[in-house]
Amino acid sequence: MSKPKVAFFDFASCEGCQLQIANLEEEVLDLINIVDVVSFREVMKEHVETYDIAFIEGSIMRPMDEERLKEIRNHAKILVALGACAAIGGVNKIRNQWDVDNVKKDVYGNAKIKDNKYFDVFKTKAVDEVVKVDFYIHGCPINRDEFKKVVISLVMGKTPEIPTYPVCVECKKNENVCLFELGKFCIGPITRAGCNAICPSNGSPCEGCRGILNEPQDECVQEILERYDLTIEELKNRCTMYNYGKEECKDE
Amino acid sequence: MKSIVKEDLNSFVDALIQDTGYEVHGVQAKGEKFVFAPLESSKDLRLDYDVTILPPKKYFLPQYEDMMNFKLNKEYSVTPQKVDKKQILIGVHPYDIVALEQTDKVYLDEQKDDFYEKRRKNTIIIGVDIQNVSDQSFAGSLGTHYVESGFDLMLTNIGKKYLITIGSKKGEDLLKKYAQTKDAKDTEVKEINKVRANTLNSYKKHVRITDADSWSKLLVSNYENSIWEEKSSKCLECSSCTMVCPTCFCYDVKDDVSLNLQDGSRVRTWDGCLLKDFTKVGSGEVFREDLKKRYRHRFFRKGNYLAERYGFIACVGCGRCSIACLPNIASPCDVINELTHFGGEGKKDEFFIKQKSHSDEKGTIHVPRKAIIKKKEKLTECETLFTLEFEDKKPLGHKPGQFVELSIFGVGEAPFGISSAPSTEPSFDVVVRKVGNLTSKLFTLKKGDSVGIRGPLGNGFDVEEFEDKHLIFVSGGTGMIPMRSLIEHCLDKKNRSKFKYVKILYGAKRPCDVLFQDKIAGWEKCEDVTCKLTVDTCQDGECWVGSVGLVTALFPKLHVDRIDPKNTKAVVIGPPVMFKFVIKCLQTIGIDDKDIFVSLERRMKCGVGKCGHCQINGVYCCKEGPVFNYAEIKNLPEAFE
Amino acid sequence: MSKDVSVNVHHVTRVEGHGNIVVDVKKGDIKQVQWQVPEAPRFFEAMLRGRHYDDLRPITSRICGICSIGHSLASLKATEDALDVSISAQSQILRRLAINGENMQSHILHIGYLVAPDLFGVGSVFPLVGSKHQDALLKIVQLHRLSNEMSDLICGRTTHPIRLVVGGFSMVPTEKQLLDMKQRLLDAVEPTKDVANAVLSVADKLPDFTRETEYIGLSSDEEYALYDGYVNSTDTGALKDYRNYKDFMQEYVVSQSTAKYAKHARKSYMVGALARYNLNSEQLHPLAKETAKLFGLKPVCYNPYMNTIAQIVEFVHNIEDSLMQIEKLLDHGMKDEKPVKVKKKTGRGVGIVEVPRGILVHEYDIKDALCTKANCIIPTNQNHANIQHDMEELVPQILDKPQKEIELTLEMLVRAYDPCISCSTHYLDVTFV
Repeated sequence: MSKPKVAFFDFASCEGCQLQIANLEEEVLDLINIVDVVSFREVMKEHVETYDIAFIEGSIMRPMDEERLKEIRNHAKILVALGACAAIGGVNKIRNQWDVDNVKKDVYGNAKIKDNKYFDVFKTKAVDEVVKVDFYIHGCPINRDEFKKVVISLVMGKTPEIPTYPVCVECKKNENVCLFELGKFCIGPITRAGCNAICPSNGSPCEGCRGILNEPQDECVQEILERYDLTIEELKNRCTMYNYGKEECKDE
Repeated sequence: MKSIVKEDLNSFVDALIQDTGYEVHGVQAKGEKFVFAPLESSKDLRLDYDVTILPPKKYFLPQYEDMMNFKLNKEYSVTPQKVDKKQILIGVHPYDIVALEQTDKVYLDEQKDDFYEKRRKNTIIIGVDIQNVSDQSFAGSLGTHYVESGFDLMLTNIGKKYLITIGSKKGEDLLKKYAQTKDAKDTEVKEINKVRANTLNSYKKHVRITDADSWSKLLVSNYENSIWEEKSSKCLECSSCTMVCPTCFCYDVKDDVSLNLQDGSRVRTWDGCLLKDFTKVGSGEVFREDLKKRYRHRFFRKGNYLAERYGFIACVGCGRCSIACLPNIASPCDVINELTHFGGEGKKDEFFIKQKSHSDEKGTIHVPRKAIIKKKEKLTECETLFTLEFEDKKPLGHKPGQFVELSIFGVGEAPFGISSAPSTEPSFDVVVRKVGNLTSKLFTLKKGDSVGIRGPLGNGFDVEEFEDKHLIFVSGGTGMIPMRSLIEHCLDKKNRSKFKYVKILYGAKRPCDVLFQDKIAGWEKCEDVTCKLTVDTCQDGECWVGSVGLVTALFPKLHVDRIDPKNTKAVVIGPPVMFKFVIKCLQTIGIDDKDIFVSLERRMKCGVGKCGHCQINGVYCCKEGPVFNYAEIKNLPEAFE
Repeated sequence: MSKDVSVNVHHVTRVEGHGNIVVDVKKGDIKQVQWQVPEAPRFFEAMLRGRHYDDLRPITSRICGICSIGHSLASLKATEDALDVSISAQSQILRRLAINGENMQSHILHIGYLVAPDLFGVGSVFPLVGSKHQDALLKIVQLHRLSNEMSDLICGRTTHPIRLVVGGFSMVPTEKQLLDMKQRLLDAVEPTKDVANAVLSVADKLPDFTRETEYIGLSSDEEYALYDGYVNSTDTGALKDYRNYKDFMQEYVVSQSTAKYAKHARKSYMVGALARYNLNSEQLHPLAKETAKLFGLKPVCYNPYMNTIAQIVEFVHNIEDSLMQIEKLLDHGMKDEKPVKVKKKTGRGVGIVEVPRGILVHEYDIKDALCTKANCIIPTNQNHANIQHDMEELVPQILDKPQKEIELTLEMLVRAYDPCISCSTHYLDVTFV
């Protein structure tokens, strides 16, 4: 069986997710043994137009990006959203709170950018708001072990299995001291696991970069805020870092 | 009983660390909390702790466990893990010791978990009487704040010294070899009761009823109480409660493969019944979807299901769940106390069925045996039949109605009903429908390829009960797969005379979905056998001579005057929605509930009543089922929803 | 010569971010030489609007995946400057280790994965597997792993560091972990020498191009400055008050670039490893100085292609420096310190650090714990103008070469700067209420 052809593309992102592939270190050699990397602009000159699996990092912000993405979707058999920006919009979506023209004026002032297609920005979109996404690798940045798992599954012809349960499961297995007990607001209980609870394990609250799983009910939120002396603002704060657009909480 | 001064106790601990060759773990501080962790020096040991974040169950059932390693580049190569590490745990509280003994009842039953067993044998437990009581704990009410057995050594702090109760020869030998002790004076021994009485007085939380019987009856009476809805509305479904619980031991199993696509391991990890997908099967159906039901299930498991099965409250009052639960709705103490206001003396074994004996799994319960694909036959667009045989040609030894767990290393493992009669041994059939990763992979395998098999598992049909009776077999859709095993067993030349007439009713979705058409033709030729087939829909141009309509529509076609309901046994196997209607038909023609048998489907992962996924209230589908007597199961709330 | 040359490299490969090189020459007459930056602007300042000061570090970390530690530290310094927070001596050392780790990781990635293929005549590192250069490649990977694992140890995660918080660290390494890292750093010296020698063997492939340029970076009296220092220029000397950084870094918008340009004493200037070397080479540790000698690198070097060599020198220096910092921590003994508490909630602050690509500035105005104004000057922003002017001077010098070689030389020029283009596209002075 021939090796699947794999290509990496990036849009509006920090390229931190693609960097994780370089961060596989020696295992990159194992990786290129089981797949044929035919396009990876950041590390290689070569580029081809046909590939089996396309990995997309980054959000979509401009018409020219949408065009490029649709073309990639046409060339690829399988399309994988790589990282939070591609999967759910990530931090790129925070600015969707404000009117686009307002934001542009703030950033570029009176500079002549009106007809410049590079600056033709609309509200940030995740990749699945433009094309069909077959699989997601969540996280900001992605978890290398999960990346490997997904690639291995795709090469073996399996559907990758990613967790549908919250970060608390992994956090408790790591025997971490719960961050709520340290006075911090962690949204691990409603965030998708698969990162091995890396932030709580390092003493920092989970901010939901892997995507929020389900909205907690009002009674639940109320109870927790009271018990730990926290505010709804803090919850909103956490939920709008990577998951802006998903209304997790209502005003009490 | 011995006594030891504190400095000598420290020396004893340090000697254990340095001289024994055992891995020593003890309770230590982690920030403001406590954990069991590798102990480097007695200086770090904190015997005055109140409660650890995780219970010592992690030493016997690790959070992540490589059960076996396999190689994908070799034909069927699997190596079970070696469990030979010797360890000493220092500072185990009595309630955790009680919890371990409860776990023993489950994990060391007639289908022993040998990994767990080895770890229990290789671990020395040095317990300590509680010095500081956790706010959330109610162990005092349950009497688990002290124990008289279950440890190798038990330490009690009586002020200037510690007393050491010897619980085993291993403990005694350790003391003799590494510790400077004196014989305890009588006055010192009396101190122990004072210490324990003091501890008892320190508890802030108390539960009003303290025996398994009362918990059990109270819960059953309040199955429909609004408390479950009220409390679960605050639930985050995070399952933190089950992760930190010493008496929770449900697990999931997954196959991990390395980047080189050759090496891999089958990993066991903790799972929790509060999680949304805990009861999800391959076809995507979730059997306990409602959050209220999942929330309720946990309390019933502790106070009713396991209480009925083993006679103990499967909660030791450690309070960890209350600490871990953010909206503070996890405490069994709070829930039971609230329910006592409602009272009730319900029939406590309503959600439990007495265990039946069934044939043992040969070999270990986890490691599959190699079986070869002898034949592969496509039956329909979605279903394919595989005939398997163990490499050593030993028969499976199954009863109709039992199932096997089929493995393809690197992909996973799933349950399949056995479709052939025992008489076709040594080979046996499974019929596979392509719904996910494992089944898709199985479809690509060929004759001569190998798979792993664990089995036979489950409670099958007690065919002796059917002798001298008329038989009605009603199958819907894929229900015909396990039904075939029973039918062919009864119609086998050697057995036919044992039974009276046999009526086979079978409904499929469309003509192309009908299984075993050729076999059915053969069955009809047998003496006193009628087969009636129906399909839900039939397109123009499709060739079909049977009826069109639901399987219940076949009942009027039965000659009612020929039916002798008091001497008839009926079997129903099909999709969940079918049972209610078919059983009504059977009752209408006069068949007693106790003469009706069903086979139910759930997520049967381990197949030996340990992983917890297949539970129908307190009943394990893989142990008491999948074959059930309808009279016994009809009142089980979750069975036919 | 009346040659027609048309170079149109769309999305230069082996650089972080998206940039285009356009050269249009008709009959020997240069019509157009452009370094274009079409990177999608991400409007980071819009993301910071109204956010709590604790959020500024995680958000700005996401400006760049490769220099996320650098952005985090500049952000924290700015916040701590605004709110009068002084971190402990232990935190100071740990942050220096963090920045060393990032510098090492970024440099070795750049040298090994992005530049070396050009020197070895291949399209990427992948063909080097199984070739006679495989040994050098494996050592590069080994050193990359070590750099990452040091950052993992100090920051919890090398990309988007978790442990870096306002006032210090959410968690610190144990002495055992530091001892282990110390040994690994000692073991890394030999492989580093091997890699340096491997690059030396092909260093003649680096074009010999010079253009007198101004270099700007941090300097310090105590050390070769990365984490802390005063802003310095090879043309004008030190900046008196760090808050007036805009006097040195004057930004302006051009149409071919979504990233802004910058100038100071001349029409452009350069930042990065070469700039730091030119300013502070005397303060390098011994082995690093030896390495510079090995390559014939001397201050002031005006050849932008030598930026890669300056990175090798810095890599060696970072190993030596990290060993020194770990020794300090072990001498004092690690304390399980909590981050310093924040009392003041309003203020204006500036944080300046050196990230692998050059000097980075974050400035925040914070009012009642929320950010009301934010500005950042990104190193690559400051280099874009210099790249443009280098290209304008270089193209006439290489017009007689074959098209492919012109393309490669220009690509190598861009790569030499180690640009981090996605970082550089967005910033301006913004005030929001």
